[in-house]
Amino acid sequence: MDAVLNIPLEHVLFLSIILFLIGAFGILIRRNVIFVLLSLEIMMNAAALAFIAAGARWGEPDGQVMFMFILALAAAEVAVGLGLVVQLSRRFQTLDIDRAEELNG
Amino acid sequence: MFQAGLPYLILTTGLIVLMVGVSIHRSHQVAWSLTVLTLIATFISHFFVYEAVATDIVVITELFRVDSIAYFFNAVFLLATLVLVLFAQVFLDRRTKFTEEFYVLILAATLGAMMLPASTHFASLILGLEVISISLYALIAYPDHARPPLEAGLKYLVLSGVGTATLLMGMAFIYAASGNLDFSSIHITDGSMEGEILFLIGNTLFWCGIAFKLSLVPFHIWTPDVYHGAPSVVTAFLATVSKGAVFAVVLRYVIEADILSSDTISNAIMLIACASMVIGNLLALLQNNLKRLLAYSSIAHMGYLLIVVFLISVNTSLGYESALFYLVSYFVMTLAAFGVIIALSSKSETEVDTLNGISGLLWTKPAAGAVLIAAALSLAGIPLTVGFFAKYYLFTAGISEGMWPLVVCLVLGSGLGIFYYVRIIFRTLEKPQEELSVSVPWLGLSITVLLALAIIVFGLYPTPLVDLIRAILVFPPTL
Repeated sequence: MDAVLNIPLEHVLFLSIILFLIGAFGILIRRNVIFVLLSLEIMMNAAALAFIAAGARWGEPDGQVMFMFILALAAAEVAVGLGLVVQLSRRFQTLDIDRAEELNG
Repeated sequence: MFQAGLPYLILTTGLIVLMVGVSIHRSHQVAWSLTVLTLIATFISHFFVYEAVATDIVVITELFRVDSIAYFFNAVFLLATLVLVLFAQVFLDRRTKFTEEFYVLILAATLGAMMLPASTHFASLILGLEVISISLYALIAYPDHARPPLEAGLKYLVLSGVGTATLLMGMAFIYAASGNLDFSSIHITDGSMEGEILFLIGNTLFWCGIAFKLSLVPFHIWTPDVYHGAPSVVTAFLATVSKGAVFAVVLRYVIEADILSSDTISNAIMLIACASMVIGNLLALLQNNLKRLLAYSSIAHMGYLLIVVFLISVNTSLGYESALFYLVSYFVMTLAAFGVIIALSSKSETEVDTLNGISGLLWTKPAAGAVLIAAALSLAGIPLTVGFFAKYYLFTAGISEGMWPLVVCLVLGSGLGIFYYVRIIFRTLEKPQEELSVSVPWLGLSITVLLALAIIVFGLYPTPLVDLIRAILVFPPTL
């Protein structure tokens, strides 16, 4: 049990930063809406992981409470997102964000 | 003590009744009336329970602290939403077959906006923010046959999601540094080097997230596209209520967490404010679409408002006074400007939002044209309008506290701003090339005229508004 608890805070925070950056790059380079939503989910979960690590540092449940909040938020966000994706593919037969580009100027 | 939560309960009850009602029987008229009733009842309930917050500190769990300032914000948000709901009835009929859920979503967004000014904890901050954002994703993409709204909705969803994730990451780092999630105790770190660095990273990420939500430079890229694509009623909600609510919570965060005592953070915020004022106004010069132009103008206005963040940490009561005055005047003039666009677009399928569309408006639709001119003058900060006093507040405050970079940018930004606001006015005054065939609904038109009257009346005689704000600030426990 001790071995599990002894993971230093920094290591987990680094991992969460790496996950956050992976998500951010995914949003920047992916053109498929589904993958963009997936990357968004990775970014959210990176923050959730950081909360759990911080909560473990202080030995408080608050970090895990925030984790539950983030889980619910990300689910709600993706639910709306997938609804929009269904609309996009039904009406315009595309999942490509760039092909849906009509607004500019 | 829990009576201070009454307005929230009334709004939530109305929301649930509406949601159940829509699933049983669909009727645009009934849904609309119920929404208007809920908003008015919530607004009035503030007066009945005002005593409770005006004499005592009301803490509802550790997540919320309701005070008279929060009530003031709530009242402003409710009035703004009411105005937009009044506009929405005619506006929606041309855009979708299913109009009822719009009202459920806009009530939910208002509930989120009311949570933010009262929040004192990261959990309530993120909850309120997301209740607004998630309702807005659906609201932006609401019209069911046009393409731009759907595109704008997706764009807002992705970018606002990135903002939220950044904000959450910042909160997690701050929590790792200090072990606290409520605003008043997060700046107490253990003093170690490590804790300081974590706190700094956390705050940087936190402010990046906030800048996303307030569309400050350099996180403003989404603003013009989303403003342009969204239906005008929703754009106006996004520009006023959603940004106002985020700003309300930022003010409380700055005061309670004493965040500007760190030089690094305060310099960074100053840079963001200056960049927003100058770049927002510069980019607005190039726009030919009224909604995009107003988007850039709102970026600049949020930059001006950031001056208050500095003011409030040295002189809390003057800071709040100018913040509330500026927000009220920003709400009135933005709603008036969007009100004209909404009123013109109500009876047509597409939005009348280009500068060509308003050419000669004063001659074809005199009332709408006059309102647009009043709104443009006020947004530019010309004397005899309420926008002038709002800017004057910030200007004098900036000089008295010696915040020179901000004052210089404020003057520079306002100077640049006059060019494009005058362009709107010139286009309105032009000789009309063709007869504008759209008809304008009387309800929408009379509301915009009322808003324009408010701009002029408070511009000539702001004393009642200032007195009201000072009365609100007499007993807030934060001062």
